[in-house]
Amino acid sequence: MSKTVTVTIDGKEVKVPEGANLIDAAASAGIHIPNLCHVKGMKGIGACRMCLVEMEGMKAPLIGCTTKVKDGMKVNTKTENVEEVRKFVIDLILSMHPLDCMTCTKAGVCTLQRYAYEYGIKESSFTRKKFGYPVDEANPFIKRDPDYCILCGRCVRVCREQGTNVLDFMGRGVGSKIATAMDRPLQDSACTFCGSCVDACPVNALLEADRWRKGREWDYTKTASVCLSCGNGCDIVASSKDDSVIKINSGAEDGSVTKYICATGRFGFESASSDIRVTTPMKKVNGALEETTWKDALAVVAEKLKKSAGKTGIISTAGILNQDAFVLSKLASDVIRTKNVDTTASLYADADSMKFSDAADLDNTDVIVLAGLNTSQHARVLPALDAGIRKAVSRGAKLIVINAGETEIAPAAAINVVSDEAKAFAQLAKALMGKGAKADKKVEAAVSGVHVSEDMEKAAEMVAAAKSAAIFCAPSLFNAARNISLLQDVKVIAVPYEANARGAVIMGLTTEGKTYSEMASGGVSVLYAIGEVPVTKRPNVDFLIAQTSYMTELAKQADVVLPAATYLESDGTITGYLGRDKDLKKAVKPAGDSKQHKSIFIDISKTMGSPIKASAAEMKSAHESHKPEFHAFEKKKGLDAKAADLIGSLNKCALEHSKLLWLKEAKAGV
Amino acid sequence: MNEIKTVKVEDIKKEAEAIKCPVERSFYYMNGFLSGPMCGKCFPCSMGSYEARILLKNIMEGTADEDALKRIRRIADDMLVASMCKKGKDTAKFILEWLDEGVFRKHIEGLCPERTCRAFIEYRIIAEKCTMCGDCHKACKYGAIHGEKAVAFRSGYQPFEIRQGICTRCGECIKVCPAGAIILTDAKSREAVGV
Repeated sequence: MSKTVTVTIDGKEVKVPEGANLIDAAASAGIHIPNLCHVKGMKGIGACRMCLVEMEGMKAPLIGCTTKVKDGMKVNTKTENVEEVRKFVIDLILSMHPLDCMTCTKAGVCTLQRYAYEYGIKESSFTRKKFGYPVDEANPFIKRDPDYCILCGRCVRVCREQGTNVLDFMGRGVGSKIATAMDRPLQDSACTFCGSCVDACPVNALLEADRWRKGREWDYTKTASVCLSCGNGCDIVASSKDDSVIKINSGAEDGSVTKYICATGRFGFESASSDIRVTTPMKKVNGALEETTWKDALAVVAEKLKKSAGKTGIISTAGILNQDAFVLSKLASDVIRTKNVDTTASLYADADSMKFSDAADLDNTDVIVLAGLNTSQHARVLPALDAGIRKAVSRGAKLIVINAGETEIAPAAAINVVSDEAKAFAQLAKALMGKGAKADKKVEAAVSGVHVSEDMEKAAEMVAAAKSAAIFCAPSLFNAARNISLLQDVKVIAVPYEANARGAVIMGLTTEGKTYSEMASGGVSVLYAIGEVPVTKRPNVDFLIAQTSYMTELAKQADVVLPAATYLESDGTITGYLGRDKDLKKAVKPAGDSKQHKSIFIDISKTMGSPIKASAAEMKSAHESHKPEFHAFEKKKGLDAKAADLIGSLNKCALEHSKLLWLKEAKAGV
Repeated sequence: MNEIKTVKVEDIKKEAEAIKCPVERSFYYMNGFLSGPMCGKCFPCSMGSYEARILLKNIMEGTADEDALKRIRRIADDMLVASMCKKGKDTAKFILEWLDEGVFRKHIEGLCPERTCRAFIEYRIIAEKCTMCGDCHKACKYGAIHGEKAVAFRSGYQPFEIRQGICTRCGECIKVCPAGAIILTDAKSREAVGV
């Protein structure tokens, strides 16, 4: 699609896509143009002047981060003139920097350190300046030390673009500092502690609060993985040292902000090593849980499962990996022989919406319709979707919010419609047909009597004019929303509340026998609960097996507890809400005796005498294509689990046994 | 509503040009620039002009060394190349325009040729000439002149004295002295210099 242009950088000819800036163009030729204030994937502001380059035939230097490549451009990045400017800028910054690289956590990844080294500047030749600002370390997540700040403003721009808008410059020039409104500590501002600013900071001014003396970047083993805390399934990079996770960053390339992760994803990992973690199998002896061996626990489980067969119920969270889900569905159908398998996904989504959602790319979407979802970064309800939409909006995309109630994202919307969502889609369909969209008889018949409101008329205009439109909706609205795609090329994505709801459904964990809710309230003789299912009271069953990473309320009442690995200790894939498969890699070894879900399932099948042979080839293709069909414009009933409550209870252990507890307590204290 | 007064670079330049000593002039300009039109959007200008002000102040106060000159020149050169907007480039031009090496070096050596930089001059009262009329005492706004006005037929009066720590070198006392007893001296040599 996009055209390429040829530019010559330091004598090297490269072909780069049209519209790229010089820094990115040079990077593709393997040439690094120094920069301090540029953030990959964001518009440049040309503040630090480190990226100045000279173009042949031009007297004045060009700014690398704001200049777009033109065909035939010849650029020199290392002329005497611009190198002097770079040295000058570094020299000036060093004159007000603490210069304590020997004890600085950021050593090794600090941009300032890198350039000071490259240009051989040991100390500043200018007057030493010291401001002695107080350090903001009153919260357990982010430490702000303005003395290290080089005033590049990356954090400010990142925070602004994702819509939190907490940080800004206070004052101007050298004496200024990055501060919240009224220079209050972070917890007194609207900060969500997502830590995007930490990822953006090139120096030691913004850092995870407890990082000091826990190793520097080169000590860590980095593992790209995926966070499974909510439906967004964000890319993360886990840094581990001596087999324990030290920190988690967003999964974007260094210095890029294209990916967002929230406080749960970034700081919730501690729960895996807290005292609530289950690391050994347990069984109930005389009414109390006692530690036992895998062999013993498996034997007890196998015997019970064999006996009850069809009366067994299996409930799982949809936060398990594709491989786990696949093996589980085989275990249920081939070994245990029960139809009663269901996941928490059935609380909010039907199989259609999960199987047939389109694949989309938020960055390339210019009109976004958000229906029936109240995303929120503050309450951490699908926060990455919220941040992604706000980012798209600040880059010029238009947002249409349709919700029966008030939404937090409404102020960012071009059009905010407070009405019944299904009815709004009917209006949208009618208005679109009036604008020359493809006609569909069934849709036409369904919307003949519908009155189109003024707002929906405007919304239809936007959707009709869109280059690439996408509807993000609650799964219950999927069928209604999909009718729109009969009229126009619109992507429809049902957003689940759990990371692998799509994958779990595709892998066969759909309601066939008893539903999740039925099983969770009894109705089976043996209940096998997998993951941190949001059930707190033991249902009326004869035998309860809890396979979980944490000692949940339910696990405490179980007859057998099987310790499962957390997502940071598992290998596999998930199918994200945007329709792409994502890889998870083990960042650390499973704690204690715990095992990944799928290994436990295979062990059970072996103990039961009919081992599952799991093969990757057998796993169904994750992307079944399906032609849209007409469905009535109505909200599907029975799928009314509240996103906020469900996500909260699914992550209860992580939220209450890590630093995140502080957030809850701080909120309660106010 | 509130009208925000925007001070332009040219206005500050015009005001600065009334000052004779090039060091003081540059400092006055830089001070005005930093508290007014400097926007702080690009590093070379915001950090460079801040540093330049420190250096100029040091030169004015006689605490600078030989390197200060080189540094100021470097700041101006780089600001001229790298500043984002005209304000920064103009500032660099002014510095270069006023950067009279000879005069700057004299300052570093401890002499202000214009006799205006307060660190290098002192006002003194010649005791023999002082008539103890008290006019200078009255004229001094800063209370830097110490002494008592003589009353007829009484003795024991000391001539007036100027306290150098308080004196701002405004020169008002010289203008009112009827006896010509106040002179301007070089701070270093304590020799009288012409006004």
